[in-house]
Amino acid sequence: MTHTDDIDILRRRLEREKSARAQAEVILEKKALELYHANEQLQHLNEHLEQQVRDKLAELRESEQRYRQLIESVQDIIYKISPDGFFTFVSLSVEKLLGYSEKEFVGKHFTDIVAPGYRKMLIEFYQTMIDGRKDSTYNEFPVLAENGRIVWIGQTVRLIEVDGHVAELVAVARDVSDRRKAEVELQTTQIRLSSLITSLQSGILVQDENQRIILVNQLFCDMFGLSRSTQQLIKQDYSEAFAEFKSRIEHSEEFVQKALQMINDQVAVVGEVVRMTNGHILELDYIPICLDGRHMGQLWKYTDVTEKYIAREQIRISEEKYRGIMNNMELGLLEVDNDQTILRAYDRFCRMVGYSEEELTGANAKELLLPADFKPVLDQQQVERQQGNAGSYELQLIKKDGSRIWVLVSGVPIADQSGTIIGSIGIHYDLTERKQLEGELARAKQIADDARHAEKQFLANMSHEIRTPLNAIIGMSHLLFDTQPSRQQREYIEILKTSADFLHSLISDLLDMTKIEAGRIEIQARPFDLAGLLRSTQKVFEMKLQNRPITIDVMLDARITGTFVGDEVMLNQILMNLVSNAEKFTEEGYIEIKARIRKEEDSVHWIEFTVADTGIGIPEEKLDLVFQKFKQVNSFGHKHKGTGLGLAITKELVEIQGGTISVKSRAGEGSTFTFMLPFAKADSTSELVTKTDNSLPVGNELKVCHVLIVEDNLMNQKYITSLLTKWKIPFTLALDGKKAVEVAKNERFDIILMDIQMPIMNGYEATVAIRSTQNPNQHIPIIALTASAMLDHKNIALEAGMNDFLTKPFEPSQLMAMLQRYAPTPMADNENVVDEKHLIELYGNNPAYIADMIDTFVTEIVPEVLSLPAVCQRKDWTELARLAHKLKPTFSMVGLPLLEEKMQQLDKMVKEGTESSLLEIYCNDIATETSNMLPILKEEIQKFSQM
Amino acid sequence: MKGIVFTEFLEMVESKFGYTLVDQLLLESNLPSGGVYTAIGTYDHHEMITLVDKLSQQTQIPVPALLRAYGQYLFVTFTKAYGSLLKQSDSAFSLLSSIQHYIHVEVRKIYPDAELPHFVVEQPEENHLRMYYQSERKLADFAHGLIDGCLAHFGEKATVTQTNLVDDGSQVLFDIVKE
Repeated sequence: MTHTDDIDILRRRLEREKSARAQAEVILEKKALELYHANEQLQHLNEHLEQQVRDKLAELRESEQRYRQLIESVQDIIYKISPDGFFTFVSLSVEKLLGYSEKEFVGKHFTDIVAPGYRKMLIEFYQTMIDGRKDSTYNEFPVLAENGRIVWIGQTVRLIEVDGHVAELVAVARDVSDRRKAEVELQTTQIRLSSLITSLQSGILVQDENQRIILVNQLFCDMFGLSRSTQQLIKQDYSEAFAEFKSRIEHSEEFVQKALQMINDQVAVVGEVVRMTNGHILELDYIPICLDGRHMGQLWKYTDVTEKYIAREQIRISEEKYRGIMNNMELGLLEVDNDQTILRAYDRFCRMVGYSEEELTGANAKELLLPADFKPVLDQQQVERQQGNAGSYELQLIKKDGSRIWVLVSGVPIADQSGTIIGSIGIHYDLTERKQLEGELARAKQIADDARHAEKQFLANMSHEIRTPLNAIIGMSHLLFDTQPSRQQREYIEILKTSADFLHSLISDLLDMTKIEAGRIEIQARPFDLAGLLRSTQKVFEMKLQNRPITIDVMLDARITGTFVGDEVMLNQILMNLVSNAEKFTEEGYIEIKARIRKEEDSVHWIEFTVADTGIGIPEEKLDLVFQKFKQVNSFGHKHKGTGLGLAITKELVEIQGGTISVKSRAGEGSTFTFMLPFAKADSTSELVTKTDNSLPVGNELKVCHVLIVEDNLMNQKYITSLLTKWKIPFTLALDGKKAVEVAKNERFDIILMDIQMPIMNGYEATVAIRSTQNPNQHIPIIALTASAMLDHKNIALEAGMNDFLTKPFEPSQLMAMLQRYAPTPMADNENVVDEKHLIELYGNNPAYIADMIDTFVTEIVPEVLSLPAVCQRKDWTELARLAHKLKPTFSMVGLPLLEEKMQQLDKMVKEGTESSLLEIYCNDIATETSNMLPILKEEIQKFSQM
Repeated sequence: MKGIVFTEFLEMVESKFGYTLVDQLLLESNLPSGGVYTAIGTYDHHEMITLVDKLSQQTQIPVPALLRAYGQYLFVTFTKAYGSLLKQSDSAFSLLSSIQHYIHVEVRKIYPDAELPHFVVEQPEENHLRMYYQSERKLADFAHGLIDGCLAHFGEKATVTQTNLVDDGSQVLFDIVKE
């Protein structure tokens, strides 16, 4: 190597070194600049970081504050707990939730607050959590609040690890009591519901929306013969189970289609009939289960209705049967509601009225079918139906063609299960033809009735027409005896009289019998003096038998006193007939009338009457004939003749009153007729005497007696006036009823004899007029003089206010007996006298004072007494009671104790509210008696004032 | 490639063969950098290959031997320049194990543009270390020299077996068994 080379090498080396140094310097310069920038940036970054740290710290503080507030404000308890179970921190909400203060709580071991029975479980649970390092857990358990209350807590616990060690646990605990309670309730409800469903008496199967079985009960399994248990079936697919019992259902394919349709429709179906191959019949209810409109499955309910179905079938068959019968019967049935709207019309009814069932159903029966004139009938029936009563009635219906039919309707109310009337059913029977027949019959009857009435009228007229002249004949024949006839004349008169009498009785009997047979005789019960009636009968016959060797006796049971209620007129007629009969067939001996009480029932007294005689008697073989019409035992060979009706009438009269009659007899020894009649006893203490038995010995004259004769018939006028003149009885004559009323207004009489059939005003009308107006004769006895012997006429007379009646033609003795009975004569009988002894006892020996007292009584008291009947007729019971009470003591003050007793009786009866008819009789009686006493009282005044 | 590899290489050539060879190498190699290297610069590694190939031609020493020798030489340089990095390890295995995760990490902090080979290290036994070398530079022999230098630095003796895992030498296994 050369030196030059070396130099070159060195030069090159130096250049390389220099270049390398320059290169390095550039690099370093660049690096240094980079470093400078980096440093600048770092410095900048550092400053920024410090600010950031400050900001972040502030932010952190703020957020910590926020979180703390958040923790404090949340409802949940947030707490920290050490791994060994002691609370280290708790949010304030613990106080609100559990009642512990923060101080109390922190430091407690968690088992201190867990409810007993859960502690061990919880210790294990959280130990497992810690051991397994589980991040987070959730658990629910009850704890004891500060006041001992149990609170259910649900808490989330998080594990906090530091350096691989469990530092603490943080928990968020929440009060879940409500939810817990709701859950328990829900569970209870669920259990209850499912046990309810399973124990239902129906097979139940519940499916979810995927046709899986959720619930099924034993009955379902039994019904379909499923081998698996209900538990085994749950969660199974329904189709599997169905495959098992499909064969048990008749027409199972159809059933499947139907079931699918139901599921598809999602509409509840009730009562779908499912027939089983074993003959059972089930009712299927399908109930879709929906939640918020979403299909959640369905419930199938099968009920075995085999028995019900069979029963229903039987009912249906039976109903069909009866419907068939009803439709074939001639009875039209119609069912209506309470407003008469037709619910159902049966065929027969439709045919009856000519409408179709469709036309009738829903229509108003009343408006459609009923003629206006029958609406009240239906309304009345409707009221009855509403009260639950059935009833039958007849009415007309308007047919569709406008014609009318008559129907007999039997209406029955229909009630629902609760008993409320919901309508009625009417069974209609077409009466149209019968009604036509009835109409014809009624017309026929009317004709017959008219004919009978005409006949009756004819008889009544005949009675009058025949009797009036007959009366004259009889009367005149009596008067003829007084004209000193020759023996022969007397004989003729005798024959004349006997023939007239016979004719008279013949007509009377015939008329009575006609009446009885026509059923026109009715019992007219009223109070009467039975004993008095018997005695007056005795009297009448005593007079008749005056010159014959026959005595007439009356024997009375001691218990027969006072007033009985019964038909006095009929009894009188019976007695008259029987006694007349006895009198006819008895030549000598006696006739005995006996009366005794046979039976005393509650209100009825059975009285047995016996009329016995010592006459010719009746042969035994003829006893049966005596009560028969027109049969005469002694039709030949006896001087007495009759119609043969007397005893037949008697028997009828007895039987009409519910009594019996019989006869016992022996030829030649006499006959005994016995009859028994029921009478009511008016009042045991009452001593009503409507007819005072003030008989006089025959032939005695009537002293003070002024008679008003009301008679239009000249012959009768003559007959009566002749008799009265003969008996020296003063009289006034009125020619008709109207005149009689006028005369009665001006003059007081003692007796009025009143003819019935008169022109202008008849006897009944005149009597009513006299009785109902103020006049001196208002309470005077009025005797009817009736040509009609008919019993009903006698009753009309009594009702009109007449006291008694005398049937024309009458004999003088009959008139005398009547006058004697009603004439107000002062007699030996002490009934109608003033008790002078009593007056002297009362007032001392001061005749002037007594006279004054009686005078005052006559002027002041008597008018009031006489007003009693009018007050009674007005039915002014208050006034009547007042008067009775006031007047009662006045009678004894003038020596009239008997009247006082009657007044007391009246007073008592008014207070007891006794029926008006009886009160009227009492008032009339008292008034009559008092007016009868007037002349006597006037005599007494004179007598005492002269002393 | 970092400039230090070039400067130290030229230092070693100069010290072994004199600057004349260095100058010859630089002149004949026609290098893009013109043969001017500074330790803190970065240069194309092909220049290194060129220099090593040239040196091998001049000295008749094969390239692998040259690279291995240079590795051994450079490690000594490293111990002087970067002693603090090596102080972390108390043994050769410890240092070798930490190359990938420690030394290379630190190198990149200083030279973000450094291109470093990738090592996977496993230690089946106490005295046995396997190092899997992977680099597109294919300088396994250079690495071998460094391993030798490292063992020498800790005064340890070990048998280092170099096995090519692929033919091009981009993946190589160093099986190091201490004696």
